[in-house]
Amino acid sequence: MLLAGCAGLEPLVPQTVALRTQWPDGVPQTIELADVPFFPQTDYECGPAALATVLAYSGASVTPDPLVKQVFIPARQGSLQLEMLAAPRNYARVSYELAPRYSDLLREVAAGNPVIVLQDVGEIFTQWHYAVVNGFDYPSGTIYLRSGKNKREEMPFTYFERTWLAGRYWAMVVTPPDRIPVTANENGWVNAVIAMSRVGGEAAAIKGYTAALNRWPDNLPASIGLANIHHDNGNYAQTVAILRSAHRAHPDSTIVTNNLAQALSDWGRNTEALALIEAISDPTNPYASEIRSTHQLILQRITQQKSANNKR
Amino acid sequence: MTSTIKKTTCRALVISLLALSFQTANAGMIGADQAAAQAVQSDRAAVMSVLNRSETVAQLQANGVDPQAARDRVNAMTDQEVHALAQDMQTAPAGAMSGLAWAGVVVVIALIWYYAYRR
Repeated sequence: MLLAGCAGLEPLVPQTVALRTQWPDGVPQTIELADVPFFPQTDYECGPAALATVLAYSGASVTPDPLVKQVFIPARQGSLQLEMLAAPRNYARVSYELAPRYSDLLREVAAGNPVIVLQDVGEIFTQWHYAVVNGFDYPSGTIYLRSGKNKREEMPFTYFERTWLAGRYWAMVVTPPDRIPVTANENGWVNAVIAMSRVGGEAAAIKGYTAALNRWPDNLPASIGLANIHHDNGNYAQTVAILRSAHRAHPDSTIVTNNLAQALSDWGRNTEALALIEAISDPTNPYASEIRSTHQLILQRITQQKSANNKR
Repeated sequence: MTSTIKKTTCRALVISLLALSFQTANAGMIGADQAAAQAVQSDRAAVMSVLNRSETVAQLQANGVDPQAARDRVNAMTDQEVHALAQDMQTAPAGAMSGLAWAGVVVVIALIWYYAYRR
């Protein structure tokens, strides 16, 4: 009878059914992040409330009010998922969209990361809503959420999946830049850090790239990103060190070679810079114009150096 | 006469936009976003991304967002996100949840009950 019940449920709540045989490894069956704050939402503003909840939990000093201007769209009377992902960057936080999997959501909560979910909570009409999952108790089949005006909303796993499935299992977490979400993959994290670096400030970007390189030492964009920040600040020794390491791992990368040549030249090592840039001076290279500029600059500096020497 | 000036101005603007080195905003260094991209961004794509941004800002404003807030919000998004937002602004789910939708249903049911049973 139980099996028949499962068979009947599966098309409705496939991931809940799958959990019965595939509970994620290493994830406890009961957990509640009780100290996740609660911001009761005002009309239509569940987006700002949900964001404030996870941002405050991640250590940012924030309430829903300022977030309204960052995510609410008056004509839509709500907040869009893309903007939910973008807003945390203003607070030097990395936002990461999870894979559409129940097991990933459970993993993140178990690791101490409350998860913002998009739900359709309408009984008849579609009613989109953001809430924050901060716990679950699998033996009783309950998910706990901070939701709307309810500090501790309890939903069965099955009903939760129905509401969540409607939004294609969309979920996101927000973490400080030195903390990689447990279900994050290499490209996802690095892209999220690059996105944050648009507005999140240098200190945060440095932490994000450093976290990436600690875990994935050969990651190319993270090396480039970190090196560029050091270069911006005139720390040429560090810039070169990072790029040399990246060059060893990616000897064919035009970007690494160009940037390393530029940095070496800025550091005063023009001979070495010239050798590097000449090796990639190919007019068919997609970055030919950048390479040409770097090449010309190096030649110019060598000429200047020679004429300065001759005057002595 | 005016249209010639317009055409010349347009051309000058396009050329000056293209002349900006999109790839190396940081003193000769190519950016991490380029390193992460699947393909090298063409100059045309770079110009389009600038135009997409201002178009998306305008769209947000048309939807009731304050002008400076609209600029700040688009600024926090990547090129792909800006492009997606422009496509989806009218149709993507907008998380909200208020009780007002149900109020309408309750009123209708109450009216039906009143007319059906009280008369």
